[in-house]
Amino acid sequence: MSQQIPPAAVLAEGMIAGDHWIQVQPEQIRATLSRLQAEGFTYFLFLTCVDHLATPLLQQPPQRFELVYQLRDLKQRREIRVRVFLPEERPEIASVQDIFAAANWDERETWDMFGIEFEGHPNLERILMPEDWIGHPLRRDFPVGGEPVDFSEDHETWQTAPPQA
Amino acid sequence: MSAPAGPMTEHVQGMTIQRSRLQGRDGDLLTVNFGPQHPSTHGVLRLIVDLEGEVIRGLKPVIGYLHTGIEKQMEALRWQQAVVLTDRHDYLSPPINNLAYALAVEKLLGVEAPPRAQVLRVIMSELTRLSSHVVWLGTSSLELGAMSAFMYGFREREKVMDLNEEISGFRMHTSYIRPGGVFADATPRFLEMLDAFIREMPRNVDEYENLLTRNPIWIARTKDIGHLTPEDAIRLAASGPMLRGSGINWDLRKDRPYSGYEKYDWEVAVENGCDCYARYLVRIREMRESVKILRQALDSLPPGPVNIDDRKILPPPREELETSMEAVIHHFKLATEGYSLPPGDVYVAVESGRGENGCYIVSDGTHKPRRAKFRSASFVNIQALEQLALGSMVADLIAVIGTADAVLGDVDR
Amino acid sequence: MGVEQLLEPLGENVLTTTVGKLVGWGRANSVWPAQFGLACCAIEMMAAAGPAYDLGRFGSEAMRASPRQSDLMIVAGRVSQKMAPVLRQIYDQMPEPKWVISMGACASTGGVFNNYAILQGVDKIVPVDVYVPGCPPRPEDLINGLMILQEKIKAQGIRSRV
Repeated sequence: MSQQIPPAAVLAEGMIAGDHWIQVQPEQIRATLSRLQAEGFTYFLFLTCVDHLATPLLQQPPQRFELVYQLRDLKQRREIRVRVFLPEERPEIASVQDIFAAANWDERETWDMFGIEFEGHPNLERILMPEDWIGHPLRRDFPVGGEPVDFSEDHETWQTAPPQA
Repeated sequence: MSAPAGPMTEHVQGMTIQRSRLQGRDGDLLTVNFGPQHPSTHGVLRLIVDLEGEVIRGLKPVIGYLHTGIEKQMEALRWQQAVVLTDRHDYLSPPINNLAYALAVEKLLGVEAPPRAQVLRVIMSELTRLSSHVVWLGTSSLELGAMSAFMYGFREREKVMDLNEEISGFRMHTSYIRPGGVFADATPRFLEMLDAFIREMPRNVDEYENLLTRNPIWIARTKDIGHLTPEDAIRLAASGPMLRGSGINWDLRKDRPYSGYEKYDWEVAVENGCDCYARYLVRIREMRESVKILRQALDSLPPGPVNIDDRKILPPPREELETSMEAVIHHFKLATEGYSLPPGDVYVAVESGRGENGCYIVSDGTHKPRRAKFRSASFVNIQALEQLALGSMVADLIAVIGTADAVLGDVDR
Repeated sequence: MGVEQLLEPLGENVLTTTVGKLVGWGRANSVWPAQFGLACCAIEMMAAAGPAYDLGRFGSEAMRASPRQSDLMIVAGRVSQKMAPVLRQIYDQMPEPKWVISMGACASTGGVFNNYAILQGVDKIVPVDVYVPGCPPRPEDLINGLMILQEKIKAQGIRSRV
């Protein structure tokens, strides 16, 4: 597989539970995705973000935010996952909605939920939350919210992220 | 009344809408707000439509009115508790959502459900697809003015609900398919009821077709409406009947089989019409194919257990708790802490009534998800609305929304 | 109906209570719900209006698309923070007398979704007359809730809402 992807851009590559993935530099995301599209990965499945704040993993992820792009080749029936790591301060990346039109709403959702900025997105505004909402709910330091429940394991059930030191 | 120059800003229900002052042929475009409470938008979808006369010149879907925070909530629950939330995002196909989640967890754990559970999963998935399609048929034909199809569709839905209740004890949100297997074995009565259901369902589909397929009003309202070319369908990543109605032969059950779908003999429903009528035909044919799969699954239901025999993932049976200390310990560990998944991420997609419902989970090695994302078919399909409806009449918008079959719980999650 | 204002100065006597019974009987047997589906419960609400359960037997099959024509709002499903102002606006648009059924666990308490996005009980923004438990409630449960509401309406007569 690796010869099909621009070799300079790929930082790491692997398989996990049968899923093929590559990791690229954030600056290379547009080049990588257009190259993959030309190679037959024409179907954009989803784009999302993973917040690695205070991860218990032994092998620490390089940055706090991990963007995941999942693409599919309908003809050869294969999939690929492209990973990009973004820093905690001002996470931003180039928009790919002109390469994959289906990424438009996914980018808006990722902005809404994680506060990742997509440069060059024509309409980067909140999609799920009300427009006057403050904060990005799916970040791990955003509380789950709701109301306290008596006699429940509050400390375990409602605390997503450990308290900030 | 003189219009202000420059973009127009409105404040509606706590939301700011920016509208460019588009010029139509006869002056200003009329901006109309549909929803979020509107009888024909299939739930709480809101559309801001720019009209020139009756022709749609601009369309902006506004979603999020049913945003439930399911993905955040899953991060606060343990792996086995999160199953109940998967039922509730696409509330017309709960077992299929369960299946996507269960398969993802199993893939990361490296286990596989026993054969009997796999066949029961297929049975539940296909029953759900049927009930989802009949609800779609009922509601979207109701929106286009055909009341009888609603009555016919809900008649069959009640039968599926009875089957759900028999096998899982609950009508809608069954949580029947769980990581490691299924909730319980099928009862003999369930198999009898299912057999009767399979016998009568083809006749019922004939009845729907008698009502609609050659109905001139139905054809006038759906044929050549909401055109989606195959190229656009792939570009916008449409899935399910939206994709197959545009002539693309892609069904996850055939092309990336899961739960033993490769064993059944059936055909993918593909239509080349690229319009609302083609999507209707795809769904009708899918109902017939589902019945075929159900018949084969029922006839080939193998004996054996319905859950994997792994005490670290599934609790021991109740009777063991009274005799075995080890069983009590396993039960206690699962009830208080749950199981943990090896670190990693995995994506599994299943074919729901609306298209590709995928589940992407990330584990950090603990007993709760680090991240759980649902790639929902409705969210992506509704993105194509603008493509489908621009240039058509405002009344056709209802047909387009109807045949896109978005479930707003699935869109907003 | 306007009859309340006419009869209010008369106080409770044999005339007003008899008229009140009549009015309550009439109102209770033609409660028109607003067609206001939110989430999962809306499908069960539709099932209740469908052929197997037939809400029409209780005079409530006429689901009105406009809040101006409805007496009853069945809050069928979870109410998100974004939807809450819309729901309140629809409630305000309904003419008096009006009633609210909170259908399902999510509408009543937030249900399993104890989080930032969901309003923890619709009774925070509109007064609720009957709570129907379940997730989602069976159509029979909704019908039971409606029958309880009918008793309440009959007892209310022409008195203003308390």
